[in-house]
Amino acid sequence: MSNEALTRRLFLQGTGTLAGSTLMRAGIPAFIAVSQAACSAKEEATAFENITNAEAREIIAIAARILPTTDTPGATEAGAVYFFDKALGSFLADTAGPARDMLAAFQSGIAGQFPGAEVFSDLGEADQDKYLKSVEETPFFQGFRFLTIAGVFGMAMHGGNRDDIGWKLVGMDGPPHAWVAPYGYYDAEYAAAQEQQNGE
Amino acid sequence: MANENQISYPLDEAVDFVIVGSGSAGGILAKELSTNGFSVVVIEQGPFRTAKDFTHDEISVLMFGELSSGNNDVHQQTFRNDESKEAELAQGQPPAWYAQTVGGSSVHFTANFWRFREVDFKERSLLGPISGTNFADWPISYGELEPYYSRVDWEIGVCGAPGPSDSFRSRPFPMPPMPVKSSGVLLEKGSKALGFEVQPAPLAILSKPLNGRPACIHCGFCMGFGCEVNAKSSTLAAMIPAAMASGNCEIRAECAVFRVGTNAEGRADEVFYYDPDGNERSQKAKAVILSANGAETPRLLLNSANEQFPNGLANSSGFVGRNLMFNCHSLASGDFEEPLNDYKSVQVTRIMHHFYDADPARGFYGGGGIDARPLFAATPAMYAIMGGPPGDPKWGAEFKNYIAHNFTRNMSMTGNATSLAQDSNNITIDPTHKDNWGRPSIRLTYKDHDDDLAMATFLQDRAMEIFDAAGAKRAWRHPVTPQSSGPHLLGTCRMGDDPDSSVVDKFHRSHDIPNLYICDGSSFVTSGRGQPTMTIMALAFRASEHIMAAARNNAI
Repeated sequence: MSNEALTRRLFLQGTGTLAGSTLMRAGIPAFIAVSQAACSAKEEATAFENITNAEAREIIAIAARILPTTDTPGATEAGAVYFFDKALGSFLADTAGPARDMLAAFQSGIAGQFPGAEVFSDLGEADQDKYLKSVEETPFFQGFRFLTIAGVFGMAMHGGNRDDIGWKLVGMDGPPHAWVAPYGYYDAEYAAAQEQQNGE
Repeated sequence: MANENQISYPLDEAVDFVIVGSGSAGGILAKELSTNGFSVVVIEQGPFRTAKDFTHDEISVLMFGELSSGNNDVHQQTFRNDESKEAELAQGQPPAWYAQTVGGSSVHFTANFWRFREVDFKERSLLGPISGTNFADWPISYGELEPYYSRVDWEIGVCGAPGPSDSFRSRPFPMPPMPVKSSGVLLEKGSKALGFEVQPAPLAILSKPLNGRPACIHCGFCMGFGCEVNAKSSTLAAMIPAAMASGNCEIRAECAVFRVGTNAEGRADEVFYYDPDGNERSQKAKAVILSANGAETPRLLLNSANEQFPNGLANSSGFVGRNLMFNCHSLASGDFEEPLNDYKSVQVTRIMHHFYDADPARGFYGGGGIDARPLFAATPAMYAIMGGPPGDPKWGAEFKNYIAHNFTRNMSMTGNATSLAQDSNNITIDPTHKDNWGRPSIRLTYKDHDDDLAMATFLQDRAMEIFDAAGAKRAWRHPVTPQSSGPHLLGTCRMGDDPDSSVVDKFHRSHDIPNLYICDGSSFVTSGRGQPTMTIMALAFRASEHIMAAARNNAI
């Protein structure tokens, strides 16, 4: 299978359901179990299980440009790299090898553009952004963006979104996810107007 | 698994009914037949999940298709937009998208739950023919179906309030509509400014306890998710428990039917399936009901071709698989100044049906409605993946700041429109591919009619006007393009009085095989305006009465 075909299979296209053949063969319960193990591993701050430290540095660096740390936390603080680690050891395990090839291909263009640098994490932030801009339409980047978002905003049981950082970032309350009206500004305003009308 | 203590029927003794599929229609038929004393075996492809199995996990549910058995690697469906082309294996989501779980797609649907109106059943007579289509009247009227719509309201559980132009109802809603959300308020505000009437959304979710089930907790994880408190009115929550309690219903989950067998008299007498371990099994039956959905039902009929029925079962008309209708859709999104927090509670609380009826003055056929909902902004990962308007940054600090600020301030308006029945939109058997069970795959051919796309665009134009009138800071369109997949699978075994142009009669009995019934979205003659499940369920209640009467009169 070509890299392009593989990445098409691996990574999300549009808004549809993502590929997950390995996941389905393994079964969802197994997937959940692995994810829970990932969460435990994260809490213990153990070493990565399925990626090398060098790979982790690259993942952290790329993810940090997709959702950077600003005055609010980003992919680094959310622990997105732990999501990658566990995904590549479980439901994306059968694509781990080709994914490494794609990472290598991604890295191979760096030295030519930025003398003295060999890998992405060698670059300063401005050069990192410049390089990512040059590859942002590639399946590798699109897939990496998807996984970074999944690692920041997916449930913490999958290894990322630690302490619900992703949910807090966008202003989502919870869990336990159970609400009563009013929910937002406009329905609160509407309810107040109705109440006033009924009282008159 | 929820079926450990159920009755177990011998395979070689004919049960009264085998029902293929446990979804919106199959679940109702199973409950009605079994609680009235008939022996029933339900064969369902998916697992027997219950409420405790449902989560808020975007990754496994929305991204990896947990409830639909995964992506197209499993289903191996192929797609083409023209019958002259070779169909290609779809990537990601299967073209015919539905849930594989006991309760079917009623488990993961949004629960937007519109009745059809009187006009939906007789539009062909009112408007005349449309060239190149199979536009036709239904053989039944709204009045004939209305008592069963009311049964759905009260037995399945529907909340709402009558709209200004709804067709008549014989009973009131059993419970009030959901509390209005900010998206509903803004739809109402903008629509009123433009002179469009708006109404509370009817939903198949309980706003008050009903029939031993609790009210909604407004968690917001409805669209695509199963309900962990049984407030969503799936057949899993509302029908299957009674069927199981009858002691007459066996549900065989994770079993995939691959053929319906017929005997020398041309009657259906046996249903062949793969059990959870992949072994071939068969169940003898006095009668067979197919409720597998508008894609799987025609696949099964076509895959069951034999010497006696070389073109597939129930297919003397050639109409099995034809006239597939997805409903056409359009979408506009917008951001507002203040937080809507639309991730909380159900998707839809207000709908606008001002353009429900077709109007020849528009220059094209079609009608529909607009609903207001968070859509992508219901859950944070899907929202971030979509990001903001086309052209905005999709990564980096600006992107992050945008999604951080606007997740709570974003909403969408969905245009839900008609689809015309066409021969060229259909389900056939793929000549090459097989699914994970080894069954020849679904080949889906589909291209929206120009009128359908025009109607969807018309609704999007109105949505943009409503956003503006409601004071949106920013609003944008999502392109209206021909669809290549859909969860509404309608029309592929249409009902009708004429055996030459329909597959089942008005009581869902196949014209060709007297003890073979078909009841699901495939029975539809027209598509309605985008929310078919209420009508599928009403048809199932109605069909069950006729099937039981025929069985008691020894007339099947």
